[in-house]
Amino acid sequence: MIRRAKGVIFFSICAIATLIAVSLLFVIVGVIFSKGISAFSVTFLTEESKNFGQTGGIFFQILGTIILITSAGILSLPIALGTAVYQTEYLWPSFRRAASIVLYALNGVPTIIFGLFGYAVFGLLLNVGVSWVSGTFILAIMILPTLTVSIKEAIDSIPVKYRESGLSLGFSKWKLIRVIIIPHSFFGIVTGLLLGLARAAGETAAIMFTATVFSGVNVPRSFLEPITTLQTHILVLAQEALNPQARTNAWGAALALVMIVFFISIVSMFIRSRIRLEAER
Amino acid sequence: MMPLFSLNNVSLFYGKAPIVRDINITFAEKRVICIIGPSGSGKSTLLRTFNRMNDLTPSFECKGSVLFDGHDIYNNGTKVCQLRQHVGMVFQKPCIFPKSIYDNVLFGVRQLYRMKKIEHQQVVEETLKAVYLWDEVKDKLRSSALELSQGQQQRLTIARALAVKPRVILLDEPTSSLDHKSAGAIDALINNLKGEITVIMVTHKLDQARRIADDVVFMCDGMICEAGTSKHIFETPGKSETKCYIKGEEINVPIKGFVSSQVIRLKAEGY
Repeated sequence: MIRRAKGVIFFSICAIATLIAVSLLFVIVGVIFSKGISAFSVTFLTEESKNFGQTGGIFFQILGTIILITSAGILSLPIALGTAVYQTEYLWPSFRRAASIVLYALNGVPTIIFGLFGYAVFGLLLNVGVSWVSGTFILAIMILPTLTVSIKEAIDSIPVKYRESGLSLGFSKWKLIRVIIIPHSFFGIVTGLLLGLARAAGETAAIMFTATVFSGVNVPRSFLEPITTLQTHILVLAQEALNPQARTNAWGAALALVMIVFFISIVSMFIRSRIRLEAER
Repeated sequence: MMPLFSLNNVSLFYGKAPIVRDINITFAEKRVICIIGPSGSGKSTLLRTFNRMNDLTPSFECKGSVLFDGHDIYNNGTKVCQLRQHVGMVFQKPCIFPKSIYDNVLFGVRQLYRMKKIEHQQVVEETLKAVYLWDEVKDKLRSSALELSQGQQQRLTIARALAVKPRVILLDEPTSSLDHKSAGAIDALINNLKGEITVIMVTHKLDQARRIADDVVFMCDGMICEAGTSKHIFETPGKSETKCYIKGEEINVPIKGFVSSQVIRLKAEGY
């Protein structure tokens, strides 16, 4: 009887915990949606911001976010791919775990540290100032672990028989990587990239004093110019506590950002299920 | 004539444990050789030595010399990729890439040789005919190979290995996951290859070995118990273990490291 009661209590605790976790997401999204929807319109998405963001739209902020995360992704992808392939194909098996631990540690570094590091390197040492290139490098380093781990998982899930077949045909290691390993981890590469982009899209601390500015910029015309993003826009507008229109626009920008991140995450989840199908074959 | 493979005092280890011990044997070219024996007797380990597929296991070690065409393949100078181009291999379960039938046949060819498209078509037709698959798939070469039956997939796997024109093909129980009819089709294709290339096959099925082998090697407890022509092994075997095994009776094999009163009983499977 007591054992049964214990079971019921444990079940209830787990169920409540799950409920809290799930409902939190709904609360956050619900609040953003209800507060942001009044600012949301076609003109809000397609117009440039005016009057320090208090009027006008967020077109260049959306564009800036997309440009910044895309360039970070493009820079990060070859490094992550190389790291993952080196780790699974070339590194001695006993060192593979150590390499994974280093990657996870890099993943755990608070993003403000990346910002500080970026400021020290790009702002002070290279003297490029607040610029698109600084943001690209910082975000690329930040998403590197996510991307590498995802690609590594995809490579690990390639059936052994594919490798054996390639090797028994007389493929060299390079041919095996080019013809079997990379094509068969394609979905893992795309998923990792999207997860990394979603993470980069939500990042503010690392880029707010190295890459982004609030106003005066539309689209950077060179790598050395600063960029404007949704994250910074929200941060600055939210501080305008006294101006109700500014706050509404902040919620509107937040809604746009959440929609971008959700879209990327859902696409990556969809592709992830494809990897499983591929692995089960 | 120089033997194709010549093994001298070969012992194979995974870690410190010897899996195969003191092998001395030669194989002539263009013969069909079947390696038979109870489970755990080291047949597959021996087979994977001929194209150094054992190298994939980090703790593997080979002592003695394995000569292919007079060259020691475990010598440092050996180009393993080239060796494997000459000595192809097909495993227990069919391995099909998620591509068309046509692309599966050409999977190795495209990477290893420069050829014109018209030559590609010839290679596909030739090899699919050699594995008796051409008539079944000639109208759907561009459709996915994953739609084929298990038996057809295994013949396609063999076709892919044959397409790169190896001198030897190693087959590791190629019919163990197939039904009777599909297995029969594989036997027919091996018979078709007789005199063309060397086939070394591990099998549990004695009736299969009896039907297709020119030479038979009987392994037991990590050693070659007896080897000879198919006729010799199946009709006039010299050793009592061989006699028992081909009759499907139990063999008593004392395993090293066990107390002598403990005896492991091995039985011919699939017989």
